[in-house]
Amino acid sequence: MNEAPAVAVANLTVKFGDFTAVDDISFTVRRGEVFGFLGANGAGKTTTIRVLCGLLVPTAGRVTVGGVGFDTGEMAIKRKVGYMSQRFTLYNDMTVAENLAFIASLRKLPRETFLKRRDYLLGFISFNRPLDSYVRDLPGGIKQQVSLAASMLHDPEIVFLDEPTAGVTPAARARFWALIRELAGQGKTIFVTTHYMDEAEQCDRIALMRTGRIVALDTPVQLKRQVFPGPLYALDPRGKIDFARLQQLGHDPEIEYFEPYGLRFHAAFRDSPAAERLRAGLEGEFHVQPIAPTLEDVFIRLVEGNGP
Amino acid sequence: MSFRWSRTAAIARKEVFHVLRDPFTLGLALGLPVFMVLLFGFAIEFNVKNVHLAVFDADHTRTSRQVIDTFGSSGYFIIDRVPSPEGAFHALSGDHDRAALIIPGDFQKNLYAGRTAQAQLLLDGSDNSTVGPIISYIGSIQTLAGRRIAGFDPPEPVHFKSRFLFNSELNSRWFVIPGLAVVVMAILAVLLTALAVAREWENGSMELLLSTPVQPLEIIVGKLAPYAALGIAALAFVYLMSRTVFAVPFRGSLLVYGVGCLLFLGAYLAQGLLISVLTRNQLVAMQVAIMTGLIPANLLSGFVFPIESMPAFFQYLTMIMPVRWLTVIARESYLKGATFTEMWEPFAALTILCVVMVLLATRKFKTDLEP
Repeated sequence: MNEAPAVAVANLTVKFGDFTAVDDISFTVRRGEVFGFLGANGAGKTTTIRVLCGLLVPTAGRVTVGGVGFDTGEMAIKRKVGYMSQRFTLYNDMTVAENLAFIASLRKLPRETFLKRRDYLLGFISFNRPLDSYVRDLPGGIKQQVSLAASMLHDPEIVFLDEPTAGVTPAARARFWALIRELAGQGKTIFVTTHYMDEAEQCDRIALMRTGRIVALDTPVQLKRQVFPGPLYALDPRGKIDFARLQQLGHDPEIEYFEPYGLRFHAAFRDSPAAERLRAGLEGEFHVQPIAPTLEDVFIRLVEGNGP
Repeated sequence: MSFRWSRTAAIARKEVFHVLRDPFTLGLALGLPVFMVLLFGFAIEFNVKNVHLAVFDADHTRTSRQVIDTFGSSGYFIIDRVPSPEGAFHALSGDHDRAALIIPGDFQKNLYAGRTAQAQLLLDGSDNSTVGPIISYIGSIQTLAGRRIAGFDPPEPVHFKSRFLFNSELNSRWFVIPGLAVVVMAILAVLLTALAVAREWENGSMELLLSTPVQPLEIIVGKLAPYAALGIAALAFVYLMSRTVFAVPFRGSLLVYGVGCLLFLGAYLAQGLLISVLTRNQLVAMQVAIMTGLIPANLLSGFVFPIESMPAFFQYLTMIMPVRWLTVIARESYLKGATFTEMWEPFAALTILCVVMVLLATRKFKTDLEP
């Protein structure tokens, strides 16, 4: 059991009529791993998660979650996993205690087990408000944390978090991620989607999805190295640069990647000799500085750009 | 996987929280039956009484006064004297008087000369809800006036003696109130169910429910049970009001009536569920529920407007509306004491509609939920 991956996906395809939402993807997630899932809206992230939570039957391919697959029925999968969706977290017109008790009865937890788990999890998230506080009165960050606790009541091996930190403050996001790291430390497998690059940096490995396919999958460090083998520079314009010049740079065969980045530009060169050759010419117009690629560069290049 | 009552009960309990904590739902659930009973029981008067009658009497004789007295003492009319025939016409143009009686100057003279004494009655044709009842009063008032003036009962070659069975005083409340329970249940069941289930789709919580090992059938039963209970409570309320405050007789079997009501409730809960699955949005669900539940319940059930006087198309349309059939069952049970076999037709119709609706809604709901 310890050797088996938490999630194994082989040639998963999901079609809605003529539309292929997920197109023949394969990957595995190790136990205790924080696995990030990135991609533009509509890339197939949520569809994949819904399959892995037993909410959607795949059109083709094999899926194993916590050692069970669809052949044993989706209910077996639902028992193994916790799920926290981006759209809905908790019922606003019910108290924290009522919400948690409701989820526990849907999962048929014995009362003793439930109370023990509840108190443990509320302690884990440092919840220090009355249990009969209405959810609508909780700040967004606290609500997110209670929701995380709700998805973990039945002590699942794997937790799926679909954009869990959308719309909460940066401090609450940082706190939430500290909890995620802690859960992973306890051996839980965390499968998370996000739009925030700083959150993606904190994942052990990340998969990038684009139009139903996984275009890259590796650790953040490896991904940057893979996608930007040549040097990357930040170009800070010294004065006004006209549009034709920018277009010329964008189409230069020696520059593999040229994207605006705030008021500056990031440019990746094919290799170091090419960079040295071009750098002299650029110094007149730009303040040129070598930089390390960020995940955002990786994301833009792979997901939004044309890709290598 | 098998159906679990504990999960169903948890969902039902949660739904009760929603109902108790949402002022709109709670207000509708408690207020609607009370409001409808007050409205149809007290405020709306279907028996036309105290009609203002503009009277111009050019004759000023004993005979003309006797005629006017007969109108006045009938209890249906209030006499407003006007100074001229034009005055009578003007009185009708306003919205005070509904009818006008004009007695010509030769009224008594004609009578004594052996001719028929003629008077003119003008009716406000723009308001046909009062004209009908007024005309029905005229016949008996005419007979009565003739008898008073002649001083004896004139011989009649043919005489119809009418007696109203089941509702001897033709009390309109006896007719309306049994149907009231039907309308109240229809509105509560369709509207509240459609809203409650649509809310789970709209805010995404259906996804949360489905991520647990809960069965679609458990969701259906759990979500609908509180609204079924509300419908039954409203029914009981209307029944108690009808028996105590309005003293409507209940001559049939409560069991038969109850079975009819449950079939009806099943059909409408299912309709609410179907609406919510199809719309998945509270606002649209509410509009569809009003269009398909509330409006037909009021207009096409025969509750107020008789189905017999509808155009043929609507008469057929009402056949697919459970409200029509339960209205029949309610009236027959209350006033006629009809038995199950006497009402096999509405029961058969109601059963078919209920089964079809439940199958349609649960099938659609399950296929939408199952992965």
